[in-house]
Amino acid sequence: MSFLGYVRSDGSVGTRNYVLVIPQGIIAKSVCDFVAGTKGILTVDHGSGRTANDREQIARLLIGLGKNPNVASVIVHAASPGVGYPELRAERLADEIAASGKRVEVLDPATDGGTYGAIVKGIQLARLMVHEASKLRRVEVGDEHLCLGVKCGYSDTTSGIAGNPAVGYLYDKIVAAGGTAMFGETTEIIGAEQAVARRAATPEVARAILDAVAVVEEKAKASGQDIRTVNPVPSNIKGGISSLEEKSLGAIHKAGTAPIRGVLGYAERPAGKGLYFVDNWMGHLSIFAGYAAAGANLVLFQLGGGGVAGRTLLEGSPSVVAPFLWATANPKTYAAAQDSIDFYSGTVIEGSETPEEAGERFYRTVIEVASGTLARSETLYYTEPIDMYLQEPRF
Amino acid sequence: MPAKRALIMHPTDNVATAVEEIQGGEEVAIPVVGTALTLCAIEAIPFGFKIALQEIPRGQIIRKYGETIGKASRPIAKGALVHIHNLEGTRARGDLAKKEDA
Repeated sequence: MSFLGYVRSDGSVGTRNYVLVIPQGIIAKSVCDFVAGTKGILTVDHGSGRTANDREQIARLLIGLGKNPNVASVIVHAASPGVGYPELRAERLADEIAASGKRVEVLDPATDGGTYGAIVKGIQLARLMVHEASKLRRVEVGDEHLCLGVKCGYSDTTSGIAGNPAVGYLYDKIVAAGGTAMFGETTEIIGAEQAVARRAATPEVARAILDAVAVVEEKAKASGQDIRTVNPVPSNIKGGISSLEEKSLGAIHKAGTAPIRGVLGYAERPAGKGLYFVDNWMGHLSIFAGYAAAGANLVLFQLGGGGVAGRTLLEGSPSVVAPFLWATANPKTYAAAQDSIDFYSGTVIEGSETPEEAGERFYRTVIEVASGTLARSETLYYTEPIDMYLQEPRF
Repeated sequence: MPAKRALIMHPTDNVATAVEEIQGGEEVAIPVVGTALTLCAIEAIPFGFKIALQEIPRGQIIRKYGETIGKASRPIAKGALVHIHNLEGTRARGDLAKKEDA
């Protein structure tokens, strides 16, 4: 019940050991392109024209990624000229990340010789910081230091029968060991919210779960759209899922059986250990960065596949600093994308493994990756842009 | 020929999920605790799709995982494929809300 991790000064434990360069921009991109061992993020939104609430959410995402235990130290550069909102100022982001005890350096083109000067200084700093980080050794720590986030996607009926239950087994095991586990996708508990709310640790948490669903369902109704033309998405329907309710009832199996300790917003850090529901949106370019900002040191994508084509390459970079594992229970998906998939639980459907045996194998896979074995997606450079979950209008 | 396999998720369900490709006319066996339920597929049930375990009249609730996944939008015969052509979800339906408003 242990893995090999990097112990940080605030007591959290990383499964990786990166130097993070934020936010997006030519300075961060140039530093990351030049220096090994760094991570940056891609976004299409810098906060310009965003409301104060949404700017704070962007800040929460950036600060959270900086504080993630997989990050050894951080470089923050002053963002593009013109985006001077107080929430997003480099000094503010740097101060809040530094509160975790990490080294944080700030680059400011205004005082560092312009964009060119900031890039040169950033490269020099990043090289030193990466080298310093490399001196840290992994040590054996308990599973209570694992913090997981999950999404199920391209769901088909294998997801509800075997894939999500395998995640559920893993989640129960990590939570029982004192660790932290997050699930979410509010749209995709519509029709299953009573079953989820029954598992809340307190009546207040149950209320918060039902409230989160009511808000999303009201928005769906107000849209005037037939939800069946939106969600389940075409690949779900192709995979045998007939309604949003059926999708939801299969989806909640990934949450296991532990009590739900709280409801979190996007990129919000849990107050303690245990299982949490996150009021977030299903998009994989959105959800995983949010989990990583909340402190996840490893994330999982449970894939249905619903008829993916042969020789499919699955990429997975939207978790930025958290290793990203692909799992599936669909034998066709596994056959089509074997070199991308970290864990297969279709054995349960085929009858060659019990759900418990598959769950134990999943746990061992997670421990190996947490301890340094690369997730398949980590063998690629390819990086996807992050679609931050912002809900207010732009002006 | 051995019966094809489908899985039932909860004893109160009126559909089961095919875990093999099933052709029309083939026998389907559904393992349940202590016994096995068998029925005949009256049409093809692809892998991962649902088969009706009993006749389901139009408007009746369709249950999987012991919960409601929608209702029958037309009468469904025992052994028939259950999917979007004869099952409709009832939640978050903006189109229905719009009709109510009108």
